[in-house]
Amino acid sequence: MPEPALPVAPSVGKTFPPEAEAAIRDSLKRCSSSTIEAAVGYRRDGDTRHLPAIIIGIVERFVEPDLRARLGTGDDDLRFVEDLGIDSLTMMEIVILVEEVAQLQIPNDDLRNLRTLSDVKTYIDCRARGLPPPKPSKFFAIEDLVALMPVQPPFLFLNEASVSAASASGKYKITGQEFFLQGHFKDNPVMPASIMLEALGQLGVLHLLAGHVVAEPGKVVGSGTIFFTGCEGVRAHRVCKPGDVLTLSIKPKRMKLPLATFEGSVRVGQEKAVMAEEITLTYGYVEAVVPVVALPPAETNGVGPNGANGLNGVNGSAHDPHDAPVTGRV
Amino acid sequence: MGHSSGMPKVFITGLGFITSIGNDATTVGDSLRALRHGIVRYPPFDHPSVPVKVAAPVREFQTEAEDCEDWTLPARYRVRREVLRSLGPGSLYAHCALLQAIEDARLTDADVSNDGTGLYAASAGSPGILTRHVTRMHEQGVMRCPPLGIVASIAGTVQFNLVAHFKIKGASTGFSSACASSSHAAGFAHDEIALGRQHRMFVIGAEDGNVETILPFAGMRALSLNPDPDTASRPFDVARDGFVGTGGATVLVLESEAEVRRRGVTPYCELLGWGQASDGHNVAISHPEGAGLAHAMRRALQASGRTTAEVDHINAHATSTPIGDISECRALHAVLGAEAARVAVSSTKALTGHGLSLAGAMETGFCALALRDGFIPGSAHIHQLDPACAGLNIPRVTRPTAPRVVLNNSSGFGGANVCLVLQRA
Repeated sequence: MPEPALPVAPSVGKTFPPEAEAAIRDSLKRCSSSTIEAAVGYRRDGDTRHLPAIIIGIVERFVEPDLRARLGTGDDDLRFVEDLGIDSLTMMEIVILVEEVAQLQIPNDDLRNLRTLSDVKTYIDCRARGLPPPKPSKFFAIEDLVALMPVQPPFLFLNEASVSAASASGKYKITGQEFFLQGHFKDNPVMPASIMLEALGQLGVLHLLAGHVVAEPGKVVGSGTIFFTGCEGVRAHRVCKPGDVLTLSIKPKRMKLPLATFEGSVRVGQEKAVMAEEITLTYGYVEAVVPVVALPPAETNGVGPNGANGLNGVNGSAHDPHDAPVTGRV
Repeated sequence: MGHSSGMPKVFITGLGFITSIGNDATTVGDSLRALRHGIVRYPPFDHPSVPVKVAAPVREFQTEAEDCEDWTLPARYRVRREVLRSLGPGSLYAHCALLQAIEDARLTDADVSNDGTGLYAASAGSPGILTRHVTRMHEQGVMRCPPLGIVASIAGTVQFNLVAHFKIKGASTGFSSACASSSHAAGFAHDEIALGRQHRMFVIGAEDGNVETILPFAGMRALSLNPDPDTASRPFDVARDGFVGTGGATVLVLESEAEVRRRGVTPYCELLGWGQASDGHNVAISHPEGAGLAHAMRRALQASGRTTAEVDHINAHATSTPIGDISECRALHAVLGAEAARVAVSSTKALTGHGLSLAGAMETGFCALALRDGFIPGSAHIHQLDPACAGLNIPRVTRPTAPRVVLNNSSGFGGANVCLVLQRA
C-alpha cells in the first residue's frame, strides 16, 4: 500500500454518514465555525492538520470570555490551569468533547500529563496517526529538584519545573531573601541577569538529568559531569525585583556528546526578562545504577492517581471509589 | 424538638420564591390573597398517550433543553456556566430563590459564609438529567458522560451546589422523605438553632417540576386527569381526582433571636417548634384515620408549648387526592376536637398544585407571609365540599384576619408526617 500523501489518521475518514456530521455539528455548536469546519473536514478526510484548529476551538469554548484573548497569541506553552483558568472538571469536559470529535479515548494516566496546549496538540496528533504518544512531561516539585540536582540551595533558582523531551519550563519566585540581593544593589535589590542565566542553565541541567537523553546502553548522564561552557545572543529586557515570579523555559537545539545547546527565555507574566539564543552545557555519561525504589513524579493537578478506565462508582468494580478521578468526593 | 424556656427562639427572617404563583414574595402574597392559581395546560403533556394535561410550571424560566446553556432565566439572574453546569432545573430555581432570600433577610456575605450558618435542602434530584446521563452512558460509553452529571442529578444536588456556590461553612445535608422532605429540613434546621449549634440556617425545598418529576405519579393513579386548569386541583372538593404537579424552589432563612437582635431585622414570624410521627401503615397510602399525622400535630403543639385553642390556621397537606384529603380531615378532627369548627383549614395546593419535596418549605413560606401580612389564605376551587370533610372550618376565600398561631402539615411516602408550628412575631 503506498504511503498516503496527507498525514491521514487511520481511524477516521472511512465512512462519515450525514448523521455523524449532524452530531458533530451539534456537539460543537458553541465553538467557532472554523472549529466545526475543521472537525467535519477531519472526519471526512482524516487530515491531521485539522487537529490544532479543533483543539484550540474546543478549549476556547470552555475558557471564560475574559481569558480567551490569550489563546489568540499562538503561545502553545499556555497552561490550562494556571494561564487559562481551567479546573480539572472543565478539563474533563474538554477531553470528552475532543474524544468525541477525534474518535479516540484518552486514558486517565495520559490525561494527567497534558498540562499545556502544546502537550495536548502533540498528544492528539500522535494518537490520531496511530503513533505512540511522546513521553509525557515530568513535573518536579521543589523536593524532587533538591533530590536530583547537583546544585543546591541557596544557589538553586528553580521552585518547580516540568520537563519533556522537547522542552523544559520552571518557576522561580524572587523572595528578596537571596543573599546577593543585599549588595546588588545598595538599597535597591535587583535580580542579577547573570543569575537569571544561571537559572536557565540549571533548567538545562535538569533536562539532561530527567532521562530524555538517549545514552549508551547501561549509561546515564552523570550529574557531576555537567558544566557551563558558553552562551550566545543574550539580551536582558526587564528589571526583575523581589516579588516577581520568573517563568523560565528552554528548548534543546543540539545534543551531541559532550555538548548540549538550548535556547532559553525568562519571562515575568507575559513580559520578556532575559532571552538567550544559545546556552551550552557540557555533559558526560556514567554507569547506570539500578534504582532500588523508583519514585513517581509528584501529582501535578487535581486529576487523581486512578489509572483504571474510570469505571469507579459506575459498575461497582474493585476500585475504591475514593480514588475516583477529578473530584475525590464520591 | 422541644420549646422550653432557655432555648434560643427561632425566627424566619427571609424568604425566596420561584413558584408557579410568583417569583418573589410580593407576587406570591398577592396570589395567595387573590387565590390566583398557577396551573396551566402543560405543552409537554400534549401527546395523546399522556392522560394528564395540566401542571403548574414556574414562569420566566425555560429549562427543558438538554443543554443547560440553552436555558433561559429572568434577566435579574446571571449564572455563570461554571455554576450552571452542575445544576438541574430545581437547583437553578433554588439558587435564584436563595439569592432572593439573602437579599430579603438583608444578609451580608459574611453573614452567609461562616461556621454558624448552615443549609438544609430537600429535593428529589433531577430524574430528567439522570435519565439522559444514563442513556448517554449506555449509548456512547462510560467515559463520554458529563463529568458533573452525578452532581447535577442525584438527590443531594441542591445542597451540593448551593453549599459550594454560596460558601456555606456550617451544617449541611439533604432530606429525603418525599413530600415531607422540606418540612423535615425546616424542623431539623430549627433544632440546629434551638440547640445552639448554628445561629442561622437556610432551608430549601426544590423540584424540577417537569415531565420526569411529575408524570411517574400517573402510574400510581395519583395525578388529576382533569384537563381544566381552573378545577384540576381542588382539595376537599367532592370531585377531586388527584394532584397537579408543580416545581420551583422556596428558601426560608431561619435565625436565632440573638442574630435577629444583632442585625436589627424584623422577622416574618417565629418558628416555635415541630413534631413528626409515622403511620407504620403503607408505603404509598396514607393511614385511613391519619394516625401518624394526628400524632405529629400533637407532638408539634406540645413541643411548642401551645394548645389547639391558640391555633387560628392550618395549612393542610391536602393534595387533592381522594384518599389523602380524607385521612387528613380525620386527623384534624382527632386533634382539634371542639376547636375543629373554629380553626381555619385550607390547602394552598389548590393554587400551586403539589410540590413534592418543595411543598413543606413553600407552604411554610406561605404561612410566614400570612403571619406577617395578617391574612388567612382561602382553600380555592371548592364547588361542593366532600361530605367526608364536613365539620371543619374550610374558608373558600382569603380572610383578612391576622392569625396568631399557624400549623403547616406535610406527609410523605412511607407514612412520614411532619407538623411545623409558627407564631406571629
